Amino acid sequence: MDINGKYFRSFLEREEAFKKQYSADRLKKQHSKGKLTAHERIALLFDDGTFEEIDAFVTPSDQGVDFGKVEHAYGDGVVTGHGKIDGRLVFAFAQDFTIMGGSLGIVHARKIAKVQEMALKMGAPFIGINDSGGARIQEGIASLNGYAVIFNNIIQSSGIIPQISVIMGPAAGGAVYAPALTDWVFMTSHTSYMFVTGPNVVREVLNEEISSEDLGGAEVHARKSGVANMIYDDEENTIIALKKFLSYLPSNNLENPPVVSFPNDTPDFNPKLRDIVPDDPNKAYDVRDIINLIVDRNSFFETSELFAPNIITGFGRMEGRTVGIVANQPKVLAGVLDIDSSTKGARFIRFCDAFNIPILTLEDVPGFLPGKDQEHSGIIRHGAKLLFAYAEATVPRITVILRKAYGGAYIVMNSKGMGGDFNYAWPSAEIAVMGPDGAVAILYRRELAEAKDPAALKKELVKKYREKVANPFIADEKGYIDEVIDPAMTRGKLLSAFSALSNKSVKVPSRKHGNMPL
Amino acid sequence: MKPDKPTIKKLFAISTEGRKFQFPLPLKNVIRVNGRDYNVELREDEKYGIHVLWKNRRYPVEIVRTKQNRYEILFNDIGHTFTVETPISLQRKKILGKGKGKSTTLVVKAPMPGRIIDVLVREHAEVIKGEALVILEAMKMQNEIQSIAGGTVIRVDVRAGQNVMKDDILVEIAVK
Amino acid sequence: MKKIKRILIANRGEIAVRIMKTAHAMGIKCVAVRTSTEPDAMYLSSADIIHDDGDETAEIPVFLDIEKLIAVALETKCDALHPGYGFLAENAYFADKCKDNKIIFIGPSPDAIYKMGNKPVARQIAMKHKIPMAMGTPGSVADEDEAVRHAARIGYPVIIKAASGGGGRGMRVVRQESEMEKMFTLASREAEKAFNDPSVFIEKYIENPKHIEFQILGDMHGNIIHLGERECSIQRKHQKLLEEAPSPALDEELRKTMGDTAVRIARAVGYYSAGTVEFLLDSDRNFYFMEMNTRIQVEHPVTEIITGIDLIEQQIRIANGEELSMRQEDVSLKGWAIECRINAEDVQSGFAPSPGRIEKISFPEGPGIRVDTGVRAGSSIVASFDSMVAKLIVTGTDRKHAITNTKLALDKIWIKGTKTTLPFFRMLMRNHIFQEGTFTTAFIEKNLDQYHHSSEYEDNIAAWLATKLFVEENLTGNRTNISFDQGKELTPWLLRKRLTQF
Repeated sequence: MDINGKYFRSFLEREEAFKKQYSADRLKKQHSKGKLTAHERIALLFDDGTFEEIDAFVTPSDQGVDFGKVEHAYGDGVVTGHGKIDGRLVFAFAQDFTIMGGSLGIVHARKIAKVQEMALKMGAPFIGINDSGGARIQEGIASLNGYAVIFNNIIQSSGIIPQISVIMGPAAGGAVYAPALTDWVFMTSHTSYMFVTGPNVVREVLNEEISSEDLGGAEVHARKSGVANMIYDDEENTIIALKKFLSYLPSNNLENPPVVSFPNDTPDFNPKLRDIVPDDPNKAYDVRDIINLIVDRNSFFETSELFAPNIITGFGRMEGRTVGIVANQPKVLAGVLDIDSSTKGARFIRFCDAFNIPILTLEDVPGFLPGKDQEHSGIIRHGAKLLFAYAEATVPRITVILRKAYGGAYIVMNSKGMGGDFNYAWPSAEIAVMGPDGAVAILYRRELAEAKDPAALKKELVKKYREKVANPFIADEKGYIDEVIDPAMTRGKLLSAFSALSNKSVKVPSRKHGNMPL
Repeated sequence: MKPDKPTIKKLFAISTEGRKFQFPLPLKNVIRVNGRDYNVELREDEKYGIHVLWKNRRYPVEIVRTKQNRYEILFNDIGHTFTVETPISLQRKKILGKGKGKSTTLVVKAPMPGRIIDVLVREHAEVIKGEALVILEAMKMQNEIQSIAGGTVIRVDVRAGQNVMKDDILVEIAVK
Repeated sequence: MKKIKRILIANRGEIAVRIMKTAHAMGIKCVAVRTSTEPDAMYLSSADIIHDDGDETAEIPVFLDIEKLIAVALETKCDALHPGYGFLAENAYFADKCKDNKIIFIGPSPDAIYKMGNKPVARQIAMKHKIPMAMGTPGSVADEDEAVRHAARIGYPVIIKAASGGGGRGMRVVRQESEMEKMFTLASREAEKAFNDPSVFIEKYIENPKHIEFQILGDMHGNIIHLGERECSIQRKHQKLLEEAPSPALDEELRKTMGDTAVRIARAVGYYSAGTVEFLLDSDRNFYFMEMNTRIQVEHPVTEIITGIDLIEQQIRIANGEELSMRQEDVSLKGWAIECRINAEDVQSGFAPSPGRIEKISFPEGPGIRVDTGVRAGSSIVASFDSMVAKLIVTGTDRKHAITNTKLALDKIWIKGTKTTLPFFRMLMRNHIFQEGTFTTAFIEKNLDQYHHSSEYEDNIAAWLATKLFVEENLTGNRTNISFDQGKELTPWLLRKRLTQF
């Protein structure tokens, strides 16, 4: 083709116009808010030069617009395409706030739907970077329908390909449900927020003054609502973390997670593990100290860190292979199970199960959180989710009981009867229907009331209870524990156990789907 | 259409005291001080563990904690905390930092009913993010109640031995 | 008199190791007690016989359990018991119990322990023997009103101290009358909590004194000598951090006066074994008797080095009933010794305990360096015992030389696994007030704005390290060798399963 010819010239002109569209002014405006542009975000996310943009030159629809004005910009406020992250195919969209506030019109929606469908066809992960004012008012119902299509696509792909949302600007109204439906939500602090109704409506309806940040900022969603799984101080760190996070996940539900060759310097036998759990059952410790010594060095990626911190969830690698970890955190609220920690754990387990990630449970749980607040808010219903998620999971499941494992909470945390493949216990484990104090108080109520020195008798009985009932050896002898292990050899044990389970396959009764208590 | 990649040419390590150290990328085993280059090396061996070699002397090193771009390092038995920033993230920090500076009050409340075992801070004490403020015993377990921000303690509303209800105010902190 | 053949070491850690070393050199067998808290502790390796105390449910450590220790001593056929320091070392009842059971208590008589252990009693004895003392109350003070009356007579500032106290707990300085009520209650409550005895007494508070103590040796035949002084003014909240001998503040004359006074106090209670008389020395070189410690002290090595006398050996010989082999004129002080207490503490967080497992530990060796330690690589510093890792004792021909040697030795210590007080000592050796020797007990609170020494360009190196980690974790990535293909390799078994599952 003649590159000076007519056709080629008009091609070049268009390219030129496209570049012009992203004038320095537009960039500056976005940068002055501490935000990057859609193209910059995409560039940071994908391997150098691998991103291919699709539909860059589409323009907004004129359908139904007889109110307000629509800017006839190329791309209609969203960048879509595919590229490689760490060498793997990933589809993505990034909304462009510099064009009509990133608002979602029908063309914008179609572009997103197109890459969503392609990601599902190829079995490739899907990432959406959200920075949008919401539905485009000018386009009315067409815009709303656009959202519906996007939501539907997410739901159809759920459990087949990993879908991750990144919130780097506003996400308000119905738009929030797109991220909410995906598997993971990353947010950047201070410059992003999510809410169904914004501060203005709150002011009008409830007469309450609240800032966007306080109503739906990253911090709020990470700590309180649990909507945001991971939050970071700035966009670069958000994207860097996202790439790292992605390396734990397979591309789709038929594949295994990628294997990362690891520096072979994590000791399989580590005496440090013997020092972490305090002898005093009332003393707290950080279970992450244990996790970090069990998984490959520096490989633990904690998820939903700030939400329900009494349970720890996250991914780690063992000899390069991804493992999902669920651990009670004695450091926070004694590691008790409550509504938030149950739902956090359950959702994590279901993700692992969907994407063939084996689950390691580290258990030190005193029980469920008592109280009116919890009971009335439905701890029964929410606690059941955790049970359901565990029992339903067909991936390899291993439990290590570190210390307390009492009552209902013992059952929930992937006990043998719930289908745990291997259940280990440390010698410090206390497994029983309830803690020593409670058990003694019930079983020896009369004796204690009549005793001359009730405190001494109680001490004696508690000691006896620990000897006779609340220890791992009884459970071991009865087969509810596969082995009592030296803490120092935990990693070694787990490696061989996971290796033995790597071919696990379970016959699931055929059904449409179970009816999980929601 | 292929976007230009914003390549990172240098990194900044910002200490908690606000000192800024700049390093060009790719990172070399060299530290430039007062216009002179010095070699520095991170090593690990059986005898000494992880250590730094600096001017022919070994210094013990421990990576205490890393969180996002925040690094807590023990070098020669002294703790140092840095955040590592790229030029873009540093710029963002500057933009977002403007218009702030006025301190707000952080009210630390009891997350659950229990008994105060120990109060670890006093009024006017400086606290850092994550520092333990009080120890609350609940469910027969001792929980450290930590500050979620750094600042100065304005008021301590509880004392050791006291029973508290959920959401009772424990400590008030002027956030820096 | 029969000679000691087997000693029960009623202690742990470095002092247990230290005692056994001398005992072995004297051909004496030693029994050590293994606790469930630190079953692999280093001191057990020095023992000839190990007694297992596996009681995990015990409410108090075995080293505080009088009945149990006596039973162990009898069971393991020990003819003597060494209490070390801390725990039961200054418990008169314990010493008495040993006596009842025909076990030689290596230390002073129960009577001397009692008299010196109870502060008001000790004060009365000292007063009777015209020992210079800070003005104070003759005995315990009943209530605030009485305290106010006494304080008015003595003159503010005054210090309230626990009658059965020690180690700084239960002490409160009162600078004016209006503070008295609050401080009195506080001190009394603290005393009750710490020592099970709420009684307190009041003394004139000496501002910015030096803490000087004299090492005493006495036998059962009435011979008492002193082995010179130790300078212990480097302390924080009454916890000693560094001790040296001799003191830069004393000359021959003052040493003789104070030494003679120390001997007089010891004589007043018929003291035998090793003991320590503590004085405060004010800026006008007036000295005041503070208290007597009736045990071997943590800082005893500095005296051993400058006198060449093994204090543990002397304790055992005295307990055997032997007469002191030296007189006062035989004691001469040679050179200078500095002891640094290397504790597992975080100097950057106000010396907060920093327990943990020692991963690597090595000390410099050579002439002029002595290290007393009870830990080795793999040992844990547990929260239930003290935070001592080791004592570094360095010798020099004079003070300046000793400081230089200490500085060098500190740089050669390698400890990984826990934070220690090493950075504090590195700073101290470079501090000019310390070098001049003019510091007082207020030194750490008043003269220091930073508790640690940073080596040259330390910030730069740490910043480089942080940056390096960031680059490795995020930019070049530990994911350079990520393999998606391996993730796709499925066994036929799994493949069939996955495909037919839906």
